Amino acid sequence: MKYQIIFTLNNEKVQHEVEANKTLLKMLREDFDLTGAKEGCGQGECGACTILVNGKPVNSCLMLAVEADGKEIVTIEGLSDGEKLDELQKTFITNGALQCGYCTPGMIMTAKGLLKENPTPTVDEVKVAMSGNLCRCTGYKRIIEAIMEVVENNKN
Amino acid sequence: MNKFNYFKPSTLTEASEILRKYGENAHILNGGTDLVVRIREDLLNPEAVVDIKGIEELHHINYNEKEGLTVGACVSLSDMAHNEAVVKHFPVIADSAEVVGSGQIRNLATMVGNNCNASPLADTATPLLALDANLLVYSPEGNKKISIHDFFVGVRKTSLKTGEIVIAIRVPSYTSMKGVFKKASRRKDVDLSTVCTTVVRINNDEIRIALGAVAPTPIRAKKAEGFAKGKDLTDEVVHQIAKLAVEDATPIDDVRGSKEYRLHMVEVLVRRSLEELRY
Amino acid sequence: MVKYVGKSITRVDGTKKVTGDLKYVDDIKMPGMLYAAVKRSIYPHAKIIKIDTSKADALTGVKAVTTGKDFPKRVGLYLADKTFMAVDKVRYCGEAVAAVAAVTEEIAREAVKLIEVEYEELPVVENVLDAMKEDSPLVHPDLGDYKHIPIFHTMPGTNISEHFKLRKGDVDKAFEDSDLVFESDFYVPHIQHCPIENHVAIAQIDREGIITVWASCQSPYAVRAALTDAFEVPAHKLRVISPSVGGGFGAKAGTTLEGIIIPLAMKTKGKPVKLTYSREDEFNNSYVRQAMHSKFKTGVMKDGRIIAVKNQFAWDGGAYTEYGVNIAKSAGFGAVGPYDVANIHCDSYAVYTNNPVGGPYRGFGMSEIHFGIEQNMDYIAEKLGIDPIELRRINAQKPGGRTATNAVVDDACGLLECMDKVIKDIDYYTPSEQPKEPYKVRAKGFACGMKAPSMPNNAASSALIRINEDGTAYLSVSAQDIGQGSDTALIQIAAEILSIPPEKFTINTGDTAHNPYEWQTVASRITYSVGNAIIKACEDIKQQLVQLASIKLGIFPRDLKLEDECIMSTIYPDKKIPIKELALGLNMPDGSGVHGPIMGRGIFVPENIRNFDMNTGLADNPVVFWTYGCYGVELEVDMETGNIRILQVASCFDVGKAINPDLVKAQSEGAIVQGIGSALFEEIIMKNGKFMNPSFMDYKIPTSNDMPEMKVSFVENPQKDGPFGARGMAEPAMIPAAPAIVSAFYNATGVKINELPLTPERVIKALKGKNN
Repeated sequence: MKYQIIFTLNNEKVQHEVEANKTLLKMLREDFDLTGAKEGCGQGECGACTILVNGKPVNSCLMLAVEADGKEIVTIEGLSDGEKLDELQKTFITNGALQCGYCTPGMIMTAKGLLKENPTPTVDEVKVAMSGNLCRCTGYKRIIEAIMEVVENNKN
Repeated sequence: MNKFNYFKPSTLTEASEILRKYGENAHILNGGTDLVVRIREDLLNPEAVVDIKGIEELHHINYNEKEGLTVGACVSLSDMAHNEAVVKHFPVIADSAEVVGSGQIRNLATMVGNNCNASPLADTATPLLALDANLLVYSPEGNKKISIHDFFVGVRKTSLKTGEIVIAIRVPSYTSMKGVFKKASRRKDVDLSTVCTTVVRINNDEIRIALGAVAPTPIRAKKAEGFAKGKDLTDEVVHQIAKLAVEDATPIDDVRGSKEYRLHMVEVLVRRSLEELRY
Repeated sequence: MVKYVGKSITRVDGTKKVTGDLKYVDDIKMPGMLYAAVKRSIYPHAKIIKIDTSKADALTGVKAVTTGKDFPKRVGLYLADKTFMAVDKVRYCGEAVAAVAAVTEEIAREAVKLIEVEYEELPVVENVLDAMKEDSPLVHPDLGDYKHIPIFHTMPGTNISEHFKLRKGDVDKAFEDSDLVFESDFYVPHIQHCPIENHVAIAQIDREGIITVWASCQSPYAVRAALTDAFEVPAHKLRVISPSVGGGFGAKAGTTLEGIIIPLAMKTKGKPVKLTYSREDEFNNSYVRQAMHSKFKTGVMKDGRIIAVKNQFAWDGGAYTEYGVNIAKSAGFGAVGPYDVANIHCDSYAVYTNNPVGGPYRGFGMSEIHFGIEQNMDYIAEKLGIDPIELRRINAQKPGGRTATNAVVDDACGLLECMDKVIKDIDYYTPSEQPKEPYKVRAKGFACGMKAPSMPNNAASSALIRINEDGTAYLSVSAQDIGQGSDTALIQIAAEILSIPPEKFTINTGDTAHNPYEWQTVASRITYSVGNAIIKACEDIKQQLVQLASIKLGIFPRDLKLEDECIMSTIYPDKKIPIKELALGLNMPDGSGVHGPIMGRGIFVPENIRNFDMNTGLADNPVVFWTYGCYGVELEVDMETGNIRILQVASCFDVGKAINPDLVKAQSEGAIVQGIGSALFEEIIMKNGKFMNPSFMDYKIPTSNDMPEMKVSFVENPQKDGPFGARGMAEPAMIPAAPAIVSAFYNATGVKINELPLTPERVIKALKGKNN
């Protein structure tokens, strides 16, 4: 049986029919071809599937697709406006805050959620807030620096 | 993931009816951070999943001196931990909530869910045990209150009956209460507790100690509490309480830690908590 | 004057990675795609008596079911000991025994449950030391029949699939001459690479019989070689595409799940079949880093000179060692680390057990041997009353000295310089400031490391460059950018020589049908090897451009140079012609054409790299280079909980030449944090042949909040045959991590730990042991 849901996806209202036994991540990837969010563990441990639901970062692998009903969802694909990148996307590039890139969309979405709630966190707060997103390549240094660059801009 | 029917009732009555209809084959979906994984990994195979987040009254959180703190079933851990009243009156609960999983998980998961899972290592269970919290429960026979002390029955087992739904957790208010939550884990962030503890001091003469991950359910260290009653927290007393706390713990060996290490950590965490409570 | 090389230009792959635009294999969706699932062994060692797939075959939506019997040919990179699915017995818990392709993942998984396998359990070989005993059950009784590259010593009738012997000098006599002799032993557990992207592959076979495989793999050509061998198809009919790789670290160097889906694709009439590993699969069924026991006997003189080392490395290679044999060999010829020791007797064994399959992991054996080598240095220093840094300086390999295999150390060894840098950056001789909590202790530690690429002597690279009509260029190679930044660094090399700015290049990789041969993206060899091929391709282009410009400008080739995207006269700079005007050849005044499109071809194979002597292991030029470096670490130990916090790490390596300094530093940073993981958290817990913690819930890797302060640096003693002097560094950058951390731990607590990782529990146990 399929369930009808209505939600906002990257600023567009969508209506969709989905099976109950499908995760939100799977629906985004398979039904909407939004493959920026990745499945790295399926247990909410790695953060590669992070998206914003009602402005807050969550693991989309831990939500059922039907739970999206009535929600406002933003994925990495919704962060940039055409070729105009979000500040975080820009600083991730300029700081070299990525290597293989697999964790990058999730990293950026978590950082986005954090800065929405607190535009000027301390570096220690950022390190803790990002601890739900695993990266095996970078050693995190440049990721934290990229986020802190946006934080510094927010202070001005 | 196997197929199941999804329900999103808007009233407790409706939710309870579905739960009773499907009996053992129904499962409540709240934050989902545990349930979705367990279904995917074939550890659970429900026929019906009942999403209770459509029930408005479960989303409330409030505090007053008379009733204390009431945290609705669907209040997320992060909303709760950042709630002004919680931060002011029950920082120990906020502290325990802030170390459950990652930020992303805490945006979904709830304190009621954390406790209804009845995992022996639920971080938020220890402050609730120490503070004598109650669970407000919807029951087809009429609402009832279950003491947290009667709630955990075994590993992943609670005293809830089919069709019963936890509406909220209520923590009584205290005029003078100070508490410390501590957690031992392999990694500093986003890790399960090898051991977790909450130690509270009430009216400067009562010490309560709750321990997680050292028995089939979170427990209180009664022997230590009895010894501590009315005593000044001198170095000697603190050490003795911490040593006694170990006596109520009956941990197992698993991949997260050995029995010996867990017992050792009970003593360390309780002692450190007491030292902090002296001031 | 270099313009692009040595500059920290921004990564060329940033935009597609921050937007989610880049498609990884799991992001590919194709019409009619089928999904595979795998039936896996529940026993670590058992005979397969019977496999009944009839119920799975009958399930609606199932399109194909295969078992190991369909393709029983053994293959392997160095030793042909594996089949992609078990044939007559299973050798580890989780080994594939059957596979299903179905219209949905759910149906495929359901079908797998319906496959019935009857086993007869065999005694389990759990431990490498037991496996080496004469009476141990054999994991591969037919080892003697397996094909292997002749440089390996298999020992049929035992579980030992490689015995590398190094015999240099006369250790027995040297021990007699030694003032003191020390003995020690160490253990490093199995760990896993944990790329955030799990393995995934898609296979499709069209009606012409062309097999296309999309795989998240480091080495498309090596995958092609393994698959053409296993399935006996010609190379031109097997195309491997690796569009992008979400982290490798060695895990994706070999061929694993590709071999499971091809037989399914052969039965599904043109439909693509996809297999995506779960995280649990990734842990259990890709590769793991081998566990290793090491034993050392060291003879030293009172003045600190180490004159003899006798050691043994026993590698737990798991169920198959097709790749692992070469790790054992590398350890054997690395033997004593970055020290110059005249008398060495080293035995390194790759050993079969019923544990998960061992394979290449960043460092390729060097992290594991240095764990013991470097602690041994601290131990000896303490016993002799010599400063541990000084002891290392005394014994360090220096230009003109000798490596373990008796090769001459060339001028490219900057170990002492690296040591000076790190000692200064970590302020090694200033004791740590102690925290206010009485139960916390801080201290510093130090360790060195070195590594050479371990690969066939003739491991080759190639590059093709095509100049487009507007003066932009395509650079085609089969080096995979698995995150290390090779796309960027390789473009920088081409840009430098062709004087075409990096932004005018597009790099094409990861497709055996379109891009030229590359042995493998492993061994920290890409910048070196592919860089050299690119230089040759550029020289080829330059020569063509100069020839055409010479005709056009009427100037002798010797008086022409390539600069600023033009061929110009070295004498009259205004006499020039832009590259783009020559891109399609030369147009003559009468309208005729000359030469045609400009394409550059570059090929490279290292020169004169020769085998080790089979009996002594000695060799005068066995590897392309050694990369040396060191770590300084400061940590804090909570003496009551056992938790360790790494406060700061300084590292320095001799990289020859940093083509892109930022990318070099980024490799060092990533290596430090991965190294911290291996030292503090990471360990595969095996119990009766079963992997007990195959999830991020119970196998912890470092998070952003475990990151220390990092001071990473490099020195540049040029590699004589490296592109612009560059040599590999991304693996070496991790090697000293664990021993440096353990050294700091010892300095903090006075307690020796000879087993990783330093979990809180192990720390407390060790501290309690000291107090008793």
